[in-house]
Amino acid sequence: MNLRISTAPHIHHPVTTQRLMIYVLLALLPTTAVGIYAFGLPALMLLAISCVTAVLSEFLWQKIAKKRVLISDCSALVTGLILGLNLPANAPWWLAVIGSAFAVLLVKQLFGGLGDNFLNPAMAARAVLLASWPVHMTSFVLPTFFSGADAVTGATPLATKSAQLMDLFMGNIPGTIGEVSKVAILLGLLILLFTRTITWHIPFTMVASVFVFSWLFGADPVYAILSGGVLFGAVFMATDYVTNPMTASGKMIYAAGIGLIIAVIRQFGAYPEGVTYGILLMNIATPLIDRFLPQKIYGRQKEVKKA
Amino acid sequence: MLKKTFKRGIHPLHRQGSGKNATKNLPIENYVSDSVVIHMSMNIGAPAVPCVKKGDHVKIGQVIGTAGGFVSVPVHASIAGEVTAVEPIPYLGTGNVTAVTIKNDFSDEWVELHPLGSVENVDPSLVIPAIREAGITGMGGASFPTHVKLTFKEGAVCDTIIVNGAECETHLTADHRLMLENSVRIVDGLRAVMRALIVPKGIIAIEDNKPDAIAAMQKAAAGRIGVQVAVLKTKYPQGGEKQLIEAVSGRQVPSGGLPIDVGVVVLNVGTCAAIADAVIDGMPLVSRVCTVTGCVKEPKNLRIPVGTIVEDMIGACGGFSEDPGKIFFGGAMTGIAIPNIQTPTAKSTNGVVVFNEAESRSKDESPCIRCGKCVAACPIGLNPYQIKVAADASDFAAAEKLHVMDCMLCGSCAYMCPARRWLTPSFRFAKDKIVAERKAAAAKGGSDK
Amino acid sequence: MSEKMKLGKVISNGIVTENPTFRLVLGTCPTLAVTTSAINGLGMGAAATFVLICSNLVISLLRNFIPDKVRIPAFIVVICTFVTMVQLLMQAFIPSLYDALGIFIPLIVVNCIILARAEAFASKNGPVASACDGLGMGIGFTVALVILGSIRELIGNGSIFGMNVLGASYEPMLLIVLASGGFLTYGLMLGLFNLIVKKSEDKKKRKEAEAA
Repeated sequence: MNLRISTAPHIHHPVTTQRLMIYVLLALLPTTAVGIYAFGLPALMLLAISCVTAVLSEFLWQKIAKKRVLISDCSALVTGLILGLNLPANAPWWLAVIGSAFAVLLVKQLFGGLGDNFLNPAMAARAVLLASWPVHMTSFVLPTFFSGADAVTGATPLATKSAQLMDLFMGNIPGTIGEVSKVAILLGLLILLFTRTITWHIPFTMVASVFVFSWLFGADPVYAILSGGVLFGAVFMATDYVTNPMTASGKMIYAAGIGLIIAVIRQFGAYPEGVTYGILLMNIATPLIDRFLPQKIYGRQKEVKKA
Repeated sequence: MLKKTFKRGIHPLHRQGSGKNATKNLPIENYVSDSVVIHMSMNIGAPAVPCVKKGDHVKIGQVIGTAGGFVSVPVHASIAGEVTAVEPIPYLGTGNVTAVTIKNDFSDEWVELHPLGSVENVDPSLVIPAIREAGITGMGGASFPTHVKLTFKEGAVCDTIIVNGAECETHLTADHRLMLENSVRIVDGLRAVMRALIVPKGIIAIEDNKPDAIAAMQKAAAGRIGVQVAVLKTKYPQGGEKQLIEAVSGRQVPSGGLPIDVGVVVLNVGTCAAIADAVIDGMPLVSRVCTVTGCVKEPKNLRIPVGTIVEDMIGACGGFSEDPGKIFFGGAMTGIAIPNIQTPTAKSTNGVVVFNEAESRSKDESPCIRCGKCVAACPIGLNPYQIKVAADASDFAAAEKLHVMDCMLCGSCAYMCPARRWLTPSFRFAKDKIVAERKAAAAKGGSDK
Repeated sequence: MSEKMKLGKVISNGIVTENPTFRLVLGTCPTLAVTTSAINGLGMGAAATFVLICSNLVISLLRNFIPDKVRIPAFIVVICTFVTMVQLLMQAFIPSLYDALGIFIPLIVVNCIILARAEAFASKNGPVASACDGLGMGIGFTVALVILGSIRELIGNGSIFGMNVLGASYEPMLLIVLASGGFLTYGLMLGLFNLIVKKSEDKKKRKEAEAA
């Protein structure tokens, strides 16, 4: 009889990396569905292109670099989908290709692959696209589903500050595919919380921080949290495991920092939107937060106080 | 009632009732096999020295190995019969240990016992020597000689004894059944120690997934001086010594220190029952309750003579129900895998769990995704992912700076890790390396003088 | 023969094994700043090469007369002289390039490559070898700047040396000609160059090991 010898523990929690990624995809489903419903075929095409490019880039890179091919963990798919949802529905197809490839190859794989990237791949790619093709990235169409007519381009309500709160909430505003419907995003949040994929710390602290700082800086706080990518960013992008701090208190500092940067950029900066830069800047601060936040180790509390 | 607990921790096999459902309602059955193999390294510290030879006839309770030092206890024959071998056997990767094989003649003959009387009347100064002579070691798994634990360094004062009935490990129900069936004995053992050490308070701590045991212990404790029952939340590792002390008393054992540094001693329920047996009946530790579960036809809680072979126990449970892939002593979180079914049990073997092929397949490590689940799980408050990076790079100095020596290898982080990283094995390796380095440094320092 | 071989090695050293931009990572400020187009890179490289050769030559000739304690100021004076010459010449004959490079022409004075070569090579070697070192380093720097400039111009503007290659329908990637794009391109090329050099060195080592 051949018995295996291994050290404890002999059991594992059923959740694996792959399953966590599938939970995230599941949580993105309502947003994706509403996006496709609202913006029609172009949105579907764009999302498909960006997903396929992301997975294909990861696969090819891992083949060429002779690494273990890990596309089955679905992390590239998540990156591709989130990037697609961050594009305006009428963006050209090559924008999705370049964005996805950039996210997976340059931001993720060149730094060592999953877990070693210091920036959120989708966010970094979006920042690159925004700086490179600002016109494509900021000309939004009004969802055809609401207007019923042909696509009408319009500026984001962040720039015009003219939308009704109810329209903001339901998604009857111009914007990227993913960020328009707040209802779908909140549904996604519930899925993430229910499956324990994320904890409440980041989304709630980030939204609260945007609310408080916008109010302090003299903007309408409710409008601030409902417009632009704040909710989408708080639920799906700031919560990216790899680039946020490990501890609960670290997560809250990180999320509060993002909120502050968003409010500052929106109120005092040249850009109408600051979610991307807020998240990217705090991504960079993450290792520092992890490093310098004091640990409370059992049996060493007094030592910490002395030091 | 406010349930007590510690910070962080996990819920292993939560949906499967921690793997305990199969045996938690089964009364303890006695089982005696044809032969036993009793090895001499039953305790942490010096091994016992065998004092019988091949061909000798022994009775139950007869000393077959004398204590090899202060941190050592004698070993007793657990069945009556003929000694058929005294020879070294390989044991659980710790190298060879001397073992005495006894063939059962089923005469059930005991040596003459010397009872000390009721625990409330016994001369307190006789209790600790009796514990030593009875060969009692910690029965929760660590097998530290109990009399050493109860002998404090000068100036130390113990104000609370905690009886560990948490049984937070998966699959095991031995302590649970013992609390139901031997509740009075457990309280007796606790009282004996309380009187011996003049401790005012004794707390029996039980997780809330065992309401029947809580009720039984409350009934047994009623009217006993200073004894009370504390209800704990069901969480792993609630029964870890440090976590139990934090949960029950709110105190934290300083890093590198002992529970007595905060005035607490923790005893397992099995140990307490054995102490009662030693004091009231003068009976040495020759048998224990052991849960046999997993892929066996009839999972059981067995009372077995110390040294029973695993194969016999599996036979007593109707044999394997599926091809076994892995068998381990103890629960699934900290259990030690055994190399073959000829392995004998020891005083600390509280369970034998059989996993089938699928359950025992080892998993490949995938990259850390920094999800933070290990940090949220660690009952000590360490950053397992950072220690793992240091340990993987063989940078043990960095691992030590990250307090890897405070890790108690509970396995919580490795259980939670979605990337299936081998956190606990890495930490075990790093700790062994650091201990070896310290020893080498100490030896060098000694020779320099 | 052997002398020639050595000089050849000094030159190739500057171009490949000790390429100032990709291997020594010197002079990164002008590298990032001026490589928005290939012609800028070429102009900058040529100007720096001229200064490198001349300053290396003069410093090498003066190496026994310059007191050790004041050698850095002395080097700087020599370099300044040539930079001023270059600046005046460019202003007179190619004013468009002069305008494009702007402040980075006078800043050649404090370019690490030139001072480093003066300190590390010219002050210890003879004039011919020093001039060759200046030439090699200058070519290495120029090649690097032209490569970076071409890539950034191609992606960021769709052209190389001002000639449109990608057609009118190409939508340029603005980021690449911004500062962050400079870092991005430089970092990637740095990695690629080192990867190639390391691979070829590994191959050489393996061959030597096989021969042994």
